[in-house]
Amino acid sequence: MRIKGKDLKDLFKHAGLAVFQVSSRRQFTRNKTHIDIPVKLSADNLEELFVNWLNELLSLSQARGLIFHDLKIKKVEGGSLDAVAVGSDIANYKVNTEIKAATFHELKIAQGGSGWEAKVILDV
Amino acid sequence: MARTVPNLTMDDIALEKIDDYRWRIPRSYKPGMRVPGIIYADEKLLKDIRQDKALEQVANVAFLPGIVKASLAMPDIHWGYGFPIGGVAATDIENGGVVSPGGVGFDINCGVRLVRTDLQFEDVKDKLKELTYALFSDVPSGVGSKGDIRVGAKEEKELLVKGAKWAVEKGLGTQDDLDCTEEEGAIQGADPAAVSERAYERGKAQSGTLGSGNHFLEVQAIDQLYDRDACDALGLNSGQIMVMIHSGSRGFGYQVCEDYTRSMVHCLAKYNISVPDRQLACAPVNSAEGKAYLGAMKCAANYAWANRQCLMHLTRRAFERIFNMSWQKLGMSLIYDVAHNIAKIEKHIVDGKEKTLCVHRKGATRSIPAGHPALPQKYKKLGQPVIIPGDMGRNSYLLIGQEGAAETFYSACHGAGRVKSRTASARSTNADTLLKELASRGIIVKASGRETIVEEAPQAYKDVNDVVDVVHNAGLAKRVCRMRPLGVIKG
Repeated sequence: MRIKGKDLKDLFKHAGLAVFQVSSRRQFTRNKTHIDIPVKLSADNLEELFVNWLNELLSLSQARGLIFHDLKIKKVEGGSLDAVAVGSDIANYKVNTEIKAATFHELKIAQGGSGWEAKVILDV
Repeated sequence: MARTVPNLTMDDIALEKIDDYRWRIPRSYKPGMRVPGIIYADEKLLKDIRQDKALEQVANVAFLPGIVKASLAMPDIHWGYGFPIGGVAATDIENGGVVSPGGVGFDINCGVRLVRTDLQFEDVKDKLKELTYALFSDVPSGVGSKGDIRVGAKEEKELLVKGAKWAVEKGLGTQDDLDCTEEEGAIQGADPAAVSERAYERGKAQSGTLGSGNHFLEVQAIDQLYDRDACDALGLNSGQIMVMIHSGSRGFGYQVCEDYTRSMVHCLAKYNISVPDRQLACAPVNSAEGKAYLGAMKCAANYAWANRQCLMHLTRRAFERIFNMSWQKLGMSLIYDVAHNIAKIEKHIVDGKEKTLCVHRKGATRSIPAGHPALPQKYKKLGQPVIIPGDMGRNSYLLIGQEGAAETFYSACHGAGRVKSRTASARSTNADTLLKELASRGIIVKASGRETIVEEAPQAYKDVNDVVDVVHNAGLAKRVCRMRPLGVIKG
C-alpha cells in the first residue's frame, strides 16, 4: 500500500482508512450505530508507531466486529498517537479480503516536498 | 564440486549449483550471513523463484544469531515478510539461538489434514454437487466467519492447553484422530498467561471456522499411485475419495504474532542483535521474551489443532447426511494432520553432535522417516505422512518422510507456492471463465466471495507436480499418491 498525506495526521488517517477500503465495501444498513473507540499508542519511532497503528485498527476491527470508516487523529508527535476510530457493524459490509497484519518488511515513511508518503506491505 | 552459474536470470544473486536439486547462496553474498543459504529447486522452478525477492530473504534469515548449517528454502519458496514462505531455519538454543515470530508467521500452525474415506469416485460423482453445497453450508468459511462450536470463557484456556484433545473430549472426534495428528494435536508447554486479552477477544467465536484466503476444504479423488506398499499400509487405492482441510489459528494466531513482533523489535537492541529486516525481530530462545513467545505460540498452535479437529467433525457430519451412513461406516479416518507454520524445539545432529534446536518452519512441513521416536505407533514402520496441497485446479499429494530429510532438520515443502500475488492474479483472472473451465474438468467450486476465486486461481501458483518432483528427487520425502480436486470450498 502506498499512502500520501499533507501532514503526519493526514498520513495516518489515510493509511488507516485505506486498510478498510481495500478490503471491504459497504453494502447494507443492518445496524445504524456508530461506535467511537479511543486509540492511544506510543512507540520508539515513527515507523513503529505507524505499523502499530495499522495493526491496532485491524485487531480492534476483528475483535469488536467493526469496520472503521472515520478516523479522527488528534495528535501524532514524538512517537505517540492520540486518535478516535469510528466504526460501524461489520454486518453492514461485504468483506472481500482478510488482512492479517501490517508488516515492517520494506516499510518506508518519508517527508517530501508535498507532504508525507508511506509504503507498507500487508499480510493478506 | 560446486560451480557458479552466473546470469541464470536478471537477478543479482549468483547461486552455486550443488546438484540438480540443491543451490547455495554463499556466505560471501552478504556480510553478516552466519551460514550459507540452500535452496531446493530445479532449474525450471528456480526461474520462478527468481521472479521475486525470496532469495534475498533466504540470505537475510542467515543473519539470525545461533542459526546452524544453513538458511533453507523448500522448492515452493516465495516472497514473504521477513522470512520467505517455504523457509526453514534452526537455531542452537545453547549457543544464543533465537526464536523469531516472523519465522512462524501470523497464521500460527496453519496446516493441513487429510481424511480418507471408503468411497470411490463412482459413489460420489452423482452427489458431488449436493456434497459440496452441504460442506459449504455446514463448515463456516469466509472473512469474519463465526462457528457454531462455542467455547466458554473458562474453557478457552483449557482449549489452548489441550488442543485437539479438547475437541475430542467434547465428542468431536476420537483418540485415533489424536494419534494421527502431529504432536497428538497439543504441543506441550502452552502458556495461556502469555497470551494477551486482545488475542482471546480476537479468536473468540472463530473455533470451527475455515477462514479465508488460501484456506480451503476439498473433496478429492486419488488419481495416481506411486508407492503401492505405502498405499496398502494406509488403505488407499486409485479412485478413492479423500478430504483435505487447510486452515490455521485464525485471528488468535495473528494477534499472538503481532503482539510478540511488536515486543521483539525492542529485543534487537536489548540483545545486540543485527538483522537486515525488522520483520525478523527475535529474542534468544532462553530469554524471558523468547520463552513467553513460545508459550503463547504453542497456545495458538493448539488452537489451530482444535480448530481443524472441529472442521473435520463438521465434514464428517456433512458426509453422514449426504450418504445416510455413519462416518465410521464411511471409513472416514484421519490419515494425518501436519503443521506448516510453527517453531519447535527438536533434537538434531549437527556436525556429528546432537543439538537442541529451535526449528522454524515457515511454510514447511515436518518430514520424519520410519523409526523416528516422534511417530505414532501406527506409522513407526512407514514414516510420517507429509501432506502437500496444490491449487484448486491441479493436484495435491501425499508423501512419506525420508531419512534424506535429516539435512533439512526433517522438513519438506508445504504446497505449490505462489508465482503471482493475489492482486496480480485477480487482475488477470475472470471468475466466470475460471469457474466454467474448472467445471468442464469436473471441479465444483463454492466460495464466500468471487475475490477469493480469482486470487486463488491455479495460475497464481507453481505447478505442485514440479515442486513435489524436487522434494522426492532430493530425498526429503517420497511420493505415495496424488489426488485431484472434485469439490472445493474456499473462504
